[in-house]
Amino acid sequence: MPTRPSDSEVTTTRPTKIPKMEDSIDVVSASTATAPIPSYRPDAKERRYDRQLRLWASSGQKSLEQARVLLVGCNATGCQSLKNLVLPGISHFTILTDAKTTAQDVATNFFLHPESLGQNVADEAVKYLKELNPAVEGVANVQDPATLLKSEPDFFTSFTLALCCDVDPDLELSIADLLWQHSSTPGNRDVPLMSIRNSGFIGRISIQLREHCVIDTHPDSTHTLRIDQPFPELETYARSLDLDSMDSMEHSHIPYLVLLVRALCDWRDAHEGQAPSFEFRDEFKETLRKGKHKYDEENFDEAIGQAFKCWNTSEIPYEVESLLSRDNVKNITASSHNLHILLHTLGIYLQSHPLPPISPSLPDMHSSTESYITLQNMYKRQYQSDLAEYKSVLDKVLDSVGLPSGAVPVTEIESFVKNSGGVDIVNGSPLSAQRDVKGLTREAINEHFADPESENHLAIAEHLAILAAERYRTKHSIWPGTTSDTTADCQILEESIKEMSGLTALPGMAKEAIVEVVRGGFSSLPTTAAFIGGLVAQEAIKLVTDQYSPLDNTVIVDLVKSTTTAFKL
Amino acid sequence: MGANGLANGSSSLSGSNGLNGESSKRYASYLANSNRYEAVDRMLDRRGPWTDEQFVGGSEAKAFLRQKAKILVIGAGGLGCEILQNLALTGFSDIHVIDMDTIDISNLNRQFLFRESDVGKSKALCAADFIMSRVPGVKVTPYHGKIQDHAPDFYMQFAIIIAGLDSISARRWINATLVNMVDEENEDSLKPLIDGGTEGFKGQARVILPTITSCYECSIDMLTPPTVFPVCTIANTPRLPEHCIEWASVLEWPKTFKDKKLDTDDPEHIEWLYQKATARAAMFKIEGVTWQLTQGVVKNIIPAIASTNAIIAASCCNEAFKIATTCAPYLNNYMMYTGNSSIYTYTFEHGKRDECPVCGGEASLVRISKDWTLEQLVEHLKEAQEFKLSRPSLSSESGPLFWYDPPGIYEATKGNLDKLVFDLLGPEGGAVSVTDKALPAANLSLEIQFE
Repeated sequence: MPTRPSDSEVTTTRPTKIPKMEDSIDVVSASTATAPIPSYRPDAKERRYDRQLRLWASSGQKSLEQARVLLVGCNATGCQSLKNLVLPGISHFTILTDAKTTAQDVATNFFLHPESLGQNVADEAVKYLKELNPAVEGVANVQDPATLLKSEPDFFTSFTLALCCDVDPDLELSIADLLWQHSSTPGNRDVPLMSIRNSGFIGRISIQLREHCVIDTHPDSTHTLRIDQPFPELETYARSLDLDSMDSMEHSHIPYLVLLVRALCDWRDAHEGQAPSFEFRDEFKETLRKGKHKYDEENFDEAIGQAFKCWNTSEIPYEVESLLSRDNVKNITASSHNLHILLHTLGIYLQSHPLPPISPSLPDMHSSTESYITLQNMYKRQYQSDLAEYKSVLDKVLDSVGLPSGAVPVTEIESFVKNSGGVDIVNGSPLSAQRDVKGLTREAINEHFADPESENHLAIAEHLAILAAERYRTKHSIWPGTTSDTTADCQILEESIKEMSGLTALPGMAKEAIVEVVRGGFSSLPTTAAFIGGLVAQEAIKLVTDQYSPLDNTVIVDLVKSTTTAFKL
Repeated sequence: MGANGLANGSSSLSGSNGLNGESSKRYASYLANSNRYEAVDRMLDRRGPWTDEQFVGGSEAKAFLRQKAKILVIGAGGLGCEILQNLALTGFSDIHVIDMDTIDISNLNRQFLFRESDVGKSKALCAADFIMSRVPGVKVTPYHGKIQDHAPDFYMQFAIIIAGLDSISARRWINATLVNMVDEENEDSLKPLIDGGTEGFKGQARVILPTITSCYECSIDMLTPPTVFPVCTIANTPRLPEHCIEWASVLEWPKTFKDKKLDTDDPEHIEWLYQKATARAAMFKIEGVTWQLTQGVVKNIIPAIASTNAIIAASCCNEAFKIATTCAPYLNNYMMYTGNSSIYTYTFEHGKRDECPVCGGEASLVRISKDWTLEQLVEHLKEAQEFKLSRPSLSSESGPLFWYDPPGIYEATKGNLDKLVFDLLGPEGGAVSVTDKALPAANLSLEIQFE
């Protein structure tokens, strides 16, 4: 389905040009004006991006168009990742490497040409990638990344996101450390890093980020109907309907939601204020059934089908509650992320309200236009009233940390209040900790690697094989599998994994994992590069737009088995 | 430069392509480097832990991949562009591509072989040219047209077929055609079909071995039914902006333009619908009709992005590589990907359906009420999730019950539509065989029983 416009009163602030995707047209003013209905027909840019705007809307596109992405290293996987970011329209990319183009590069990387041979691979790849979208700026930096890291660390922190593809493991850790340290200073932006490895059919993506706020996870539904706890206007309306004297047309077009609220009120009146519990579900449904004037009233059938909403108690979603208990949500400062401030405010709001603000969105239901619009307007009014209360709490919160009342943009407040169940905060860990055989890696070894029955057994074995290969690379300056003696390399990796895991014999599929990882010699199989490049771009888009929940924090790709396995280290 | 030579042939290239001395030297030096395919060669020279015992590898596998394996790509759109790129880099050198579409500006956010200056050109031709200019030694043969225009002979020439389609009917057609082509006496008649599909952050890749594994038709009931708005809602009780748009396109357009068909690609037509829908929405105080929504509803637009296409196309081509070389076991037989939240894939074996009209052979039991007319049965075959036929023609053991074509039989049988199935088949019900253009050369067998 296309992105549904949300109901709102945005028309007063509408710019005169093109409306945002999520905005609605003010139909009332449009129809009463003497001028023809304005068209708002999409311009060339909106037409180019139409199929993606229907996913992340203009707000996501705006974030994307401000993103500056750094690629360190320039293999097929890295260029495929960039391709999938240049096409949807990031602002800028830089490829950093001093490497020259080899024949193997040309044969695996679509963004090179035989004529690129021997030239700076960064220059060549930038040239071919830029062709994909004239709106995107691409720059080749042909310095040695290790030297640049020492001489100009600020270069690395000037990006929105860094991708490391096939970068020497020690250098990669140094870049990761620099970015991690950078974001430890309050006020500095977090620059997430994605570390990408692939060898033949096997690959791995790891993400380092300090903290990531998702402002819209795009949940399946944003409705908060709260039939079990109707707001006063809705209850009064439901009670006021004279069901028995209605004509049959009207009776068969009362929205099921109103029927349920009414049945619930009647039940409570007859049961000393008690709502129907699960045990009385058949009896409750029977009262609905008895209310039918005719056998085939669809609205009553819908009500019976949705009757469980009367005894399922509306609660503060568990996810929201756990976000509220985070330290940086409980204790905020003037430099807190807007989402922390909005959640903190929600926490205070909930001290005097049983539930978060109501959402104005309603599902479609069997109803006459008039009844539906009446109901929709009631939800909108309640939303407006909840929003006003929320805003007044927010003003006090902002004031308490020394921020002015407009510090959080109105659009952000409204989108949060409409969808407070659709936010998330992801806590990351430094790449160095992910590479240490401690903590979660130790747990993964004990739980999944040592146990051949575990469903993550093979994926953890493949991760350990890549980890052992990185140590091999650091020691021998080449990747395992690059010489013809792959058996010897496998042997070395086996010993390395035994040492890491503390196991004297390798369990289950560990040897197979090692053989498959060594087989590829850490070169880029074009299909694996394309697959991982797609995943990397997907996660990069999520990190940049703050929409949809990203990978947290490691995935193993196995294209022999055609599987991916995500886990946290 | 249209480099048509084989992967190892360099003689015809450097002279004729007008390169200057320096770059011509680089070009020749690239082609002279026999180690350039190292990444792929490693997978063919080395056995993996899960590689089949029959795997020979080495030069034999390389020769098949690079010189013999003729492969067909159906669709040169979002998936097709990616598939062509991956196949060319993997080493397939005889690639054919078929697509009936021309390039639209809204393709450019993902169909990366096309540029703004290509808008309006044939996707198949444009994509083929691009691949050949970028990857030396690959020959891509384009067909600008419909898959239905080609006879089984055409499909018989390929080793593998990869479909990157956005249309259910085209998928059903190629699936049924390939299943029907299987001749048990001739093992070359079994053409692996690799099918990819995407929608937003989600997608799937699957390997179909016609008659051996579950086919596309076996899983037809897994498709999400499309949102259909009842006509009475559209006409009388609109509640959503979509209802107003449907009113404009389904009811108002044919009333106003009796002889002009709605062209959802014509912006002037969309504009007209948008104006009508907006006015109706205002009358009913419904908010939310926009130009983009109007276009999305009438064209049934599915969100599409480069990254999802990249993942699914790569998976399809990875399976093609594994099937062509046997260097690793191929997918058995379905991988689903969901990227909305973290990275999630589900890889499983989808089972064959015994009563699949294309590959099953057993009759589907349909229990209907005694008071159903033949027309109701026909409508049921169009709407039910497990059939989804478009123009079903029905026959009983004693002859045609109702056929859409040819006109003579249509005229002779249309009178049956108002009769009861009970009266036509007798009280015991019985076998009904159904043909439909959605399922070429396949007969759907029904066993009708009365409740």
